[in-house]
Amino acid sequence: MEIVFSDASVSFAGRTALHPLSLTLFERRIGIIGLNGSGKTTFARLINGLVRPTTGRVTIGGLDTVADEEAARGRAGFIFQNPQHQMILPVLAEDIAFGLKNRGLSATEIAGRTEAVLQRFGIPHLARRRIHELSGGETQLAAIASVMVTGPDVLILDEPTNQLDLKNRRLIEKTVADLPEQAIVITHDLGLLDSFDRVLLFHQGRLAADAPPEDAISRYREIAAC
Amino acid sequence: MLTGLDIEGTTLLHRTSARLKLIVLFAVAAGLFAVSNVWLLVAFAIIAAGLYASTGIGLREAFRRVRFVLFTVLLVALANYLFHSLSDALAVLFRLGTLVLLAAAVTATTTVSAFMDEIAVLLRPLERLGLLRAADVSLAVGLVLRFAPEILARYGDIREAHRARGLRARPLGVLVPLVILTLKDADTIAMAIDARGFRRQ
Repeated sequence: MEIVFSDASVSFAGRTALHPLSLTLFERRIGIIGLNGSGKTTFARLINGLVRPTTGRVTIGGLDTVADEEAARGRAGFIFQNPQHQMILPVLAEDIAFGLKNRGLSATEIAGRTEAVLQRFGIPHLARRRIHELSGGETQLAAIASVMVTGPDVLILDEPTNQLDLKNRRLIEKTVADLPEQAIVITHDLGLLDSFDRVLLFHQGRLAADAPPEDAISRYREIAAC
Repeated sequence: MLTGLDIEGTTLLHRTSARLKLIVLFAVAAGLFAVSNVWLLVAFAIIAAGLYASTGIGLREAFRRVRFVLFTVLLVALANYLFHSLSDALAVLFRLGTLVLLAAAVTATTTVSAFMDEIAVLLRPLERLGLLRAADVSLAVGLVLRFAPEILARYGDIREAHRARGLRARPLGVLVPLVILTLKDADTIAMAIDARGFRRQ
């Protein structure tokens, strides 16, 4: 899936959160790193239209994130920093099924797809669990399942291993690594990026590096040391 | 009565459609107010308790869910006893008690999404008049049920934070940060609803 930024910038209340940038993303695994407040999340949210560009445009698979907002959003799933907040119904299976409603599917098809996505992410045993009772790792997997059930081509994850213990961190790393879909991951967990194809480093709202993981991380360490 | 706590099962009530259960509940509620014979109301209360127990909920959990409402009903009955008569008080006690138990039985055997679907159907005429979006209202109901436990947990966290700093947890001191944090979360939740494409429904 080709994601194209054409002179896209974002300003909030007169403050520039992201300076104009133009680039094309097509790699299978893309990492986004940078200090807090550097523009990483704003950049990622531009991809599925959660944030609209103040200038320029962003397209995903040729769809403009403003003009074709709904269709573009359907191409990119988003996992928020706190995935608890994106689970809308109290029970996991219901939440997953809810995302499929009014898409012209029968109740049997919805149940089948819900079951399939739970199996895919190895969490069928969590189907009837309350969202607020899930552990950190379970919540991440549940959120990924609830987004992937609608079949996006790209998955954007905002700090997916944040606040997870080592075991759950490895579980999420493996889950991301095994995804056949394109994944764009914002992270402070630099080890996660080892096998990535491309890493974007943001600093003060600008793209400070666009390179393979090793080079981008090395530049990040220089910035963090200042 | 809605706590989002439906329990898994295959009982008759589980298999009955949400719409039918809600219609029967509404009809029974209206009908109960036409009955004033205490013995008949006692019989209804026993049947309602039997139905609630038949959901397979377990005695302790069953009582935990309704105890607060039943306590309120008890207070109302007590007020009736003080200002009217014993028979009035008993009629109120068993009439409202029956309703609470029936509503709890419906809640325990109906999923939140089924409730949401019925709310959307119910509100469709208002949607046709352009007064609201039925799906939005039903989504709001789902959100309340989903996030009520989290808000309660946060309330507990803020109280604990006060204690950890050696402060007494005054109501205002707890409520203000609770409201601010909840509103902050609401922004993220609204964004998540957009991200998952729920509002296009």
